[in-house]
Amino acid sequence: MRIQVRRTGGFAGIDRHAEVDTSGRPDAQEWQSLAERAFASGRGTPPVGVPDGFSYQITVDGKTVYCADPRLTEEQRKLISRVLKEGA
Amino acid sequence: MTTNGGFEPVFCTVVPPHVLDKLARNDDPALSGPARRTLMRDSELRGKRRVTTEFALAAAPTAKAPSDQPLRTVYDAEHRTALPGTKVRGEGEDPGQDATVNRAFSGLGATFELFLKAYGRHSIDGDGLPLDATVHYDENYNNAFWNGEQMVFGDGDGEIFLDFTIPIDVIGHELAHGVTQYTANLTYYGQPGALNESMSDVFGALIKQYTLGQTAAEADWLIGAGLLAPSVTGKALRSMKEPGSAYDDDVLGKDPQPATMDDYVRTGRDNGGVHINSGIPNHAFYLAATQLGGHAWEKAGQIWYDVLTGGELTDRAFFTDFAKLTVKAARERYGDGGEELQAVEKAWEQVGVRIL
Ligand SMILES: [Zn+2]
Repeated sequence: MRIQVRRTGGFAGIDRHAEVDTSGRPDAQEWQSLAERAFASGRGTPPVGVPDGFSYQITVDGKTVYCADPRLTEEQRKLISRVLKEGA
Repeated sequence: MTTNGGFEPVFCTVVPPHVLDKLARNDDPALSGPARRTLMRDSELRGKRRVTTEFALAAAPTAKAPSDQPLRTVYDAEHRTALPGTKVRGEGEDPGQDATVNRAFSGLGATFELFLKAYGRHSIDGDGLPLDATVHYDENYNNAFWNGEQMVFGDGDGEIFLDFTIPIDVIGHELAHGVTQYTANLTYYGQPGALNESMSDVFGALIKQYTLGQTAAEADWLIGAGLLAPSVTGKALRSMKEPGSAYDDDVLGKDPQPATMDDYVRTGRDNGGVHINSGIPNHAFYLAATQLGGHAWEKAGQIWYDVLTGGELTDRAFFTDFAKLTVKAARERYGDGGEELQAVEKAWEQVGVRIL
């Protein structure tokens, strides 16, 4: 499973992008389950965010959903921070 | 205003919107009534809702004049994301040990003071709205935002960004989003979104200058100075004096802001580049303010404030709509042929925004 996260906006307006390929990872199962739950509560179109709030695109195996601060689910928040931290 | 049907024409043809705004708040119903109706009718014509939201309280029989003192509360999210978090400092309470809390608290006070002293505005809604801020939001959170009701500040990750309460202009920027929400309510996308961002940078910069007592010539015109971690190559996040020059770093990349319409950036990211193209109206404000000299909040700031709150700026305004209204406001407040009008016209011309 290929998980990509793109973050745009924010006070600084600086984009960040990272991705994780779970194949061959010992924790692949955990990543996939987290990604599926985060993806399920995403939206098909970008939500109207709040001023200076981050906007996110979560792409799992080529399909994309959207979400925005501060209204993220726990799974979305966890997935986004893990991908941006551990991904390449 | 062609459809007033001869009803109270004095308010429709002579009185500028900012005066109407003031009249509408008058305690004497003979004065406030017609002004309020004119503003309402005006706003109905454009399908806007600001007057009803803004005057809902003023119209209530129990309404009284809002206080000249702010009503501030700072909360601590304790590195989680639930808002507002735990209350850590209220109005009238002494500073505590946490410098972040104290900075947020005094930043709220400075913002309240500028809007009141310079423009006679009582808090962000013009009616004494309590000012709430949450600090220590999430972990290593590299951002600050306005959620529609309050300000939220992250601590930064220490590698790229430091604590977002450090620059007072960032605090002012977030609160100014509240002022915009209660007035022109500029849509947060594309050009109206970039205007929304620019309003926050302009008033954020003015709050810093007011606090330091700086003239336009003395000010650094930077947004977010002191926010970048020491390892980052840059001086701030944005420069109103020289958009595009704030940083140039291996990790952050280069400041993408244009200074003129020639370099306007078309993009779908960042809500259509709201933090990018804001460089254009930001630079126009800088040019007008430095041309006029003295304290930037007094003349240039007053003109921008007149437009933001005057009721004619629509929520879908483009740069050119805004620019034309600043020209009109400069003329109405300072007279035809004055240096203010000239400075405003020249500023927009220099950044390539049409005013004719
Ligand atoms: Zn902003």
